[in-house]
Amino acid sequence: MTKTLATAAATLLSLVAPASAHRLDEYLQATIISVEKNRVQAFTRLAPGVAVSSLVIANIDTNGDGIISDTEQQAYAERVLRDLSFSVDEHRLKPRLVSVAFPMTAEMKEGLGEIQIEFTADLPGAGGSRELIFENHHQSRIAAYLVNCLVPRDKNIQITAQNRNENQSFYRLTYVQAVGRPDPSSLGLWPGVRASLGTVVLLLFAGLTLIWRQRAKHGMPA
Amino acid sequence: MRLVSMRAASAICALAFTCLSLTPATAQIATGRIVSAANAFLSTLDNKQRQTVLFTFDDEKQRQRWSNFPTGFVPRGGISLKEMNATQRAAALAVVSSALSPRGFEKIQQIMEGDEVSRIKEGNNPMFGKDLYYISMLGKPSEKDPWMLQFGGHHLALNITIAGERGVLTPTLTGAQPALYTLNGKTVRPLGQESDKAFALLNALDEAQRKQAILSYRLADLVLGPGQDGKTIQPEGLKASAMNERQRAMLVDVIAEWAGIIHESAAAARMAEIKAGLEDTWFAWSGPITVTPGNNIAAYYRIQGPKLVVEYAPQRLGGDPAMHVHTMYRDPTNDYGRRLMAK
Repeated sequence: MTKTLATAAATLLSLVAPASAHRLDEYLQATIISVEKNRVQAFTRLAPGVAVSSLVIANIDTNGDGIISDTEQQAYAERVLRDLSFSVDEHRLKPRLVSVAFPMTAEMKEGLGEIQIEFTADLPGAGGSRELIFENHHQSRIAAYLVNCLVPRDKNIQITAQNRNENQSFYRLTYVQAVGRPDPSSLGLWPGVRASLGTVVLLLFAGLTLIWRQRAKHGMPA
Repeated sequence: MRLVSMRAASAICALAFTCLSLTPATAQIATGRIVSAANAFLSTLDNKQRQTVLFTFDDEKQRQRWSNFPTGFVPRGGISLKEMNATQRAAALAVVSSALSPRGFEKIQQIMEGDEVSRIKEGNNPMFGKDLYYISMLGKPSEKDPWMLQFGGHHLALNITIAGERGVLTPTLTGAQPALYTLNGKTVRPLGQESDKAFALLNALDEAQRKQAILSYRLADLVLGPGQDGKTIQPEGLKASAMNERQRAMLVDVIAEWAGIIHESAAAARMAEIKAGLEDTWFAWSGPITVTPGNNIAAYYRIQGPKLVVEYAPQRLGGDPAMHVHTMYRDPTNDYGRRLMAK
């Protein structure tokens, strides 16, 4: 299979000689991970080079009609997801698709298009030191992997280490998650609390106004 | 002694006062110069061309329409040099020149010349050429109101936001292929300084520092290239706080290769901002730690600070990675001058 892929790539390379301006024989798969208190989100960009795009497209366009239907897009995204593995503190996570976007088939054929897959997984609640492991084995023979983590918006989460293997198919993220102090940026709690407090203050004010009016009506000093 | 101290203090105060009062004035002069050049260029265009060049300031689609790809693959907005007559072309390049430092403009011209070399080398391939660079403006050129100048094509995307005296160059993409060529008997390396200075910095590190700076994995491409606006990734490598003064100065010198593309007063303000966050700035390297003399490095490197991301990414595309480079320059807190707009 490897030999077949290599031969096909070499043949295609010879046909696309002038296209030295862009990716050729690799399938770039760049993932950016975002860790939050209760969940992990990831965004993967998949960009096949022009020499391998036909192989990738053939994998997506399973009925071979030249059109990548919504069903085929969804099925491919699910397949990518199955080739990824996510675990936190040795618990395997089950990522769910959030969104899928495909470029035009013609763009992909020219090595220009980018498939974008966004997914998320719930994290089991815990504090202290945590370890998240992400592995990508999708199309490993032609893949060029990238994986990075966003600086957490939640100040209670501090990244302590990132480790990868040479080709970035394996990524270990170690972070510390403080417990107790709620973070305003990651929770929808504060707007609710503020709204409740506001309501209480308004009710108190309305009550006092009523009392003052009644006292004034009966000539009582305020 | 006391008199000397008083005189010294007065001199320092006077110098500080002069600097403080001169910097905005100099910057305002630069803005005036760019606006004049922009209006002069617009006056050379007919109505249809002018409409093609001008976009509304809030046109986010046009703001983000830039790429490392040739224009035949990813069309740019605005008008190309190819579609202009000689007068218009000169006026367009005068606008770009007015917004950049002399070295910045030279670098941009060398990138464009490199694309011309590719065109000739590939049998007049219409995909390449120094005429395939587009100019556009978002908003009307103004000395007070914010507006934006874009100039780009293959391996080039200058996004310059001008707001009064302030000038913001981020995000900007530079690249080169071939990254080394001969023109009129002279060897040209458009991004040679970016390569040489970073390599010198790597070699100035001691073993323990190198161990921190050199990443153990391969980086095939830019992490925060086109389409990756507003993202701040976890920094890696060696922190500048763990460098000595000489190494930190070398790091600043590498950064200046990008920050110094814009005109001097905007570059000075930007460098001050970068130096203020220098202690929290990281230097990471991935790939070969040797280089053929006179050539570019084949390694990836990244410099990341609180208000800075620089990436230098050789491209392994069917040839020598040292001959094909993409670079990215960002301020995740102020790309497209968004911080200025928020004020």
